[in-house]
Amino acid sequence: MRDRRRTLLISLPVAILVIVAVFPFLWMAVSAFKPLAQLYTIPPQWLPDPPTLENFKNVVFQSNIPRYFINSLIISIGSTFLALVFAIFAAYGFARFDFRGRSAALAFVLIGQLLPTATVIVPLYIVLNYLGLINTYLGLILVYLILTLPLSVWMLTGYFRGIPKELEDAAIIDGASQLGVLFRISLPLVTPGIIAVTLYSFVATWNEFVFALSFATEKEMKTLPIGLAEFSTEFDTDWGAVMAASFVMTLPIALIFLVMQRMFVGGLMSGATKG
Amino acid sequence: MTMRNISPGVWFILPTMLLLAALIVYPMLSTAELSVTDANGAFAGMRNFNVAISAPSTRLILFNTAYYVIGSVVFQLLLGILAGILLNQHFAGRALVRSLMLIPWVVPGIVAAMTWAWMFHTDYGIINYIMTQVGVISEPIGWLTNPNTVMPALIAVNAWKMFPFVAVMVLAGLQSVPEELYEAVRVDGANFWHEIWHIMLPQLRPVLVSITLLLTIWALDGITIIYSITGGGPANRSMIFPIQIYVQAFEYFEFNRAAALSVLYFLFLSVIIVLYMRVFAAQEKD
Repeated sequence: MRDRRRTLLISLPVAILVIVAVFPFLWMAVSAFKPLAQLYTIPPQWLPDPPTLENFKNVVFQSNIPRYFINSLIISIGSTFLALVFAIFAAYGFARFDFRGRSAALAFVLIGQLLPTATVIVPLYIVLNYLGLINTYLGLILVYLILTLPLSVWMLTGYFRGIPKELEDAAIIDGASQLGVLFRISLPLVTPGIIAVTLYSFVATWNEFVFALSFATEKEMKTLPIGLAEFSTEFDTDWGAVMAASFVMTLPIALIFLVMQRMFVGGLMSGATKG
Repeated sequence: MTMRNISPGVWFILPTMLLLAALIVYPMLSTAELSVTDANGAFAGMRNFNVAISAPSTRLILFNTAYYVIGSVVFQLLLGILAGILLNQHFAGRALVRSLMLIPWVVPGIVAAMTWAWMFHTDYGIINYIMTQVGVISEPIGWLTNPNTVMPALIAVNAWKMFPFVAVMVLAGLQSVPEELYEAVRVDGANFWHEIWHIMLPQLRPVLVSITLLLTIWALDGITIIYSITGGGPANRSMIFPIQIYVQAFEYFEFNRAAALSVLYFLFLSVIIVLYMRVFAAQEKD
């Protein structure tokens, strides 16, 4: 009896929570598949009847979104990869060695991660402009290191710390160099960490808005978030196309999230069997 | 000091530190310089600061920023703590609900902004429809164009976006609360409300302190949602400090004034960042 009352008491707030969390996302998806006439009705129509791909066709064939998609892809992958290369060395240095200034350097990395982007847009624009890097892939890839590098160093340091030092010591006694140890022993062991860092960095740069808004002003260089915001700056917003483009932009993130979740659960499972 | 005396660790971190210095330290020093010079590079003393502060919109912008940050953080915490406690209970389908709850956090900020802008649409928005149907409001409200509703609407979007993060942290914190604590108060006849008030919240205190500081920093950085939905309008009623920096620099091309604003913004932020790092360091030690 008590259990049934408890279930009832709990199911109402759970239902509210699920609706609050999921409804906007569903409404976006539903709107993306509605023909124009069904988007602008009073009262609003709940489901598209019949669902149409018209909005997606508009987005793919009549807007710059495909180009923006490719730009976003290039910049996100470039910055994620570059950050990873630097972060592997730095994280290994932080995790394995003790030296003067180590905690100050780590604190600086953390500050870099916390620093809001608006504090540095002005001088970064001047520097990029001076170097001729405004409206270039390289320019955005470099400034996105501000997002990806501290994050990657911070996360990977944790993963490297998780490797027993004895494994490395054994290899050093066998005559391996410090770099050899890093690449042959430690790096393969932090593969889950590398994957997690890669995905996090990718998502962070894929979603970034402020730098892209400031440093990619030409049509050829804009990224997806800016393209999406552009739809609604005009007085006549094509909400069907906006929702379709939103849907397209969310897909890669949703896929990454699915992969991550399985990894996350997998990590918990392996931990459980070992324990 | 010879090269051999330097720990190999320094060589490992050096490239990254140089890169971060070039990307963060140099721009910040350069901002400081820009803030006290004029457009031709001549020393201007505090003039940029005076002009920026004495602008008629400054008071409104400061008020809006405080309004947005405090409103966002309060509702993010409230919703997040409730969701976290709820998801820590046993019920059927809990794992699925936990995943679904993460959706707002996973959706890109700009997508969340656009979707909510559509939902808040005065004529065709689903929010006005539902609220008029239920009878909460008698006629449609121009949520994003009415000066009195624009901030609450934007805060709602930000609260929706970030509450899952709080919930996840609260959930993790609750899972480390020893079962004996609950049993101890149950013996004394405590109900669920007592458990929340006397066990969960006190146990969560350290987590909540650091989350609050993080949420404050993130809310202060909140350009994406506001800029893409309202651009700071109507009539500056949703203009917040970081957007003002962007507008001064890239719409009015007043780089020195924007730099002066950046310096003020950074000084304020650094207080919160230092607080966060102290809390963070203290928790690392435990």
